[in-house]
Amino acid sequence: MGVPFVSTLGYAGTDILERRPADFRIITDPFEPEERIVVAKAINPDVAIFHGSKGDKYGNVLVQRRGEELMLAQASRRVIVSVEEIVDEVGPDSLNGWFIPAIHVSAVVHAPYGAHPTSAPGFYDADDSLIEEYVDAARTQDSFDAYLEQQVHEVESHEGYLRRMGLAAPEAVSS
Amino acid sequence: MSSGFDLGPEERLAILLSRHVHDWETSACGALSFIPATAMLLARELHAPNVEIIILGSKEYSPFVSGKDFHFLAQRGEMDLFFISAIEIDKHGNFNLHVIGDRDEPDVLMPGQYGTGLLYYAVPRIVMFRTEHTTRTFVEQVDYISGAGTSPEGVRRRTREVTVVTPIAQLRFNMETRLMELASVHEGFTADQVAENTGFDLGIDGPVETTPVITEAEVQALRTIVKPHMIESETYPDLAARLIREP
Repeated sequence: MGVPFVSTLGYAGTDILERRPADFRIITDPFEPEERIVVAKAINPDVAIFHGSKGDKYGNVLVQRRGEELMLAQASRRVIVSVEEIVDEVGPDSLNGWFIPAIHVSAVVHAPYGAHPTSAPGFYDADDSLIEEYVDAARTQDSFDAYLEQQVHEVESHEGYLRRMGLAAPEAVSS
Repeated sequence: MSSGFDLGPEERLAILLSRHVHDWETSACGALSFIPATAMLLARELHAPNVEIIILGSKEYSPFVSGKDFHFLAQRGEMDLFFISAIEIDKHGNFNLHVIGDRDEPDVLMPGQYGTGLLYYAVPRIVMFRTEHTTRTFVEQVDYISGAGTSPEGVRRRTREVTVVTPIAQLRFNMETRLMELASVHEGFTADQVAENTGFDLGIDGPVETTPVITEAEVQALRTIVKPHMIESETYPDLAARLIREP
């Protein structure tokens, strides 16, 4: 949106405000001076990274429809989008996805199974058993470290991860 | 309740919650909300045929592409009832969805509130619920205020009714005293039992109302209409199959 802050109906009296005074204030409503209202400062990440379904050489991408990625892209200074497929062109009328124009995108990365073990709608479902494995591993620092070592550091690259998981990368880029 | 029905805990709560859903209103619950989703669908079969039902994340019962539109609807004042569950609820009407223990080094860190602290302000009628009624849930003071029962002076708020439904009783938030109090006790339980399992004073003074008993019509509608509908419409189909019994 590009606005410095937004007003919101809610949160006053919560510890969310109490603990984040730099992000939330209660101000006099400039239009209804007898009332007060919560305002929240804009969050502008330096870099946003998320996964989409398709991207083109111009940097246009399609992401899942039920998400907040467009807003995230608009808020962030740099935006890196990994995609399942590189295609000739995606546009605002493309079906099966939510269009984010290249003007918001800094880089597109071809990364098949880039959302694995979560899902990429139209490509693959979430792998529930692998997610359960992660949930179990996340219970203690030791088991989490071991998980990270095995799933991230040992495999060295995304291709290594796909080999470990027995997932074949597509043979050719489709169009 | 001992009215002859062998009810699972989720069935019982869904029936009790369904009574708070009014006809012609817009009632809503968040994602991962099997019990209130069931309650709204049951109410539609029983006494609220024209209720507008929103189940966030559902294919059949959510009109939204993006979660923020759900919160925008509530901020505009177009949501009449919202269901909230929480890990802790305190006597001041605060609820906790964030941490148990020390805020900086919590014993348990939870996913947070996803706009519930907003909905608690924007929606006129709030029904909270909990699958257990214990002193660890109903506490004097929550470890973290994710939603505030009382607003700072002068801050705009739409909430006018807050009810809490548990397996043994119903509580209500007194808008004058700003304190939780006992509203009714379910059949088969006593006010003393409720007091023993609540970590704060419920302001019990004199005879206590009994929650209207669960009826055969409610149980039948739940098991014969709502259950198959939830499975067919893919509204928590696995939970409906497992947690709502066969008629």
